[in-house]
Amino acid sequence: MFRTPFVIALISTMASPLMAEEKMNDLEIAHTAYTAGQLDIRYAHLALAVSENEAVRDFAETMIRDHTAVNVAAGALIGELNVTPQDNALSQALVSGAAAKRAEFMALSGEAFDCAYATNELGYHQIVNQTVGEKFIPWATVPQLKALLSDALVTFKAHEGHAEAMVAGLKCTS
Amino acid sequence: MYVLNLATRRQFGLLLGAGLVSPLAPKPLLAHDGPHRLEVEISKFRFSPATLTLRQGDSVIWTNRDIAPHSATHTDGDWDTGEIPKDGSAEIRFDTVGKFAYFCVFHPAMKAEIIVESQ
Repeated sequence: MFRTPFVIALISTMASPLMAEEKMNDLEIAHTAYTAGQLDIRYAHLALAVSENEAVRDFAETMIRDHTAVNVAAGALIGELNVTPQDNALSQALVSGAAAKRAEFMALSGEAFDCAYATNELGYHQIVNQTVGEKFIPWATVPQLKALLSDALVTFKAHEGHAEAMVAGLKCTS
Repeated sequence: MYVLNLATRRQFGLLLGAGLVSPLAPKPLLAHDGPHRLEVEISKFRFSPATLTLRQGDSVIWTNRDIAPHSATHTDGDWDTGEIPKDGSAEIRFDTVGKFAYFCVFHPAMKAEIIVESQ
């Protein structure tokens, strides 16, 4: 597959900066997008286990519901195309970064946890949306994948707005 | 009193085929010749139309075109479609005159209103 050198800088509050040095192919994009959704679901389950804040819990439930729906649609597309998503350096970096972040979260409770989770969700969605909108959608060559990413981006942008409101509502000091 | 009727995609298609439901655009209010079904499409995290005026006894059918599930939930909690999955529909009949603000309970930034006029 034709590959053009490219650099993505994923700089978020969720993890250390993540770098992908080359343009990704459709199967790598699918894998990374699916992985990012699964990681956000996992953050949400942690939030439901720890937080007692209604706004945080509502947001977490929405993340589980929406990202599950997006990934079900992705799974259906993968089945329809009869392909296997391809693990890659960016997916692996996302997974390891999220593991480190979850370890940080697990040492927190109360407002400290709520603020850390909310702030991370805002940063996570900001960078994911930038990556999906500016990289993954233009790079995707399979029309169905491009369409799914476009639909998903609408959802993720709503999440970003929701996260922004959650952070503002929590009045976190940092 | 409101009547909640969750329609499956197939049922909704049958209604469309039978000419009982108008296509995408909501019907304009006409001389009331019986109950009507008016449609609200949920797409790109918006209710369309955002304001819908109908007559007592009419019904509203919400259809979700987004991947994410949505709801149409009365702000004061008097009625709720429950979760509407992608390409799913839900119907509620409005028998009480008034203005009813509603939102998506999963995505609170999504807001709209139903205005019910007397027959």
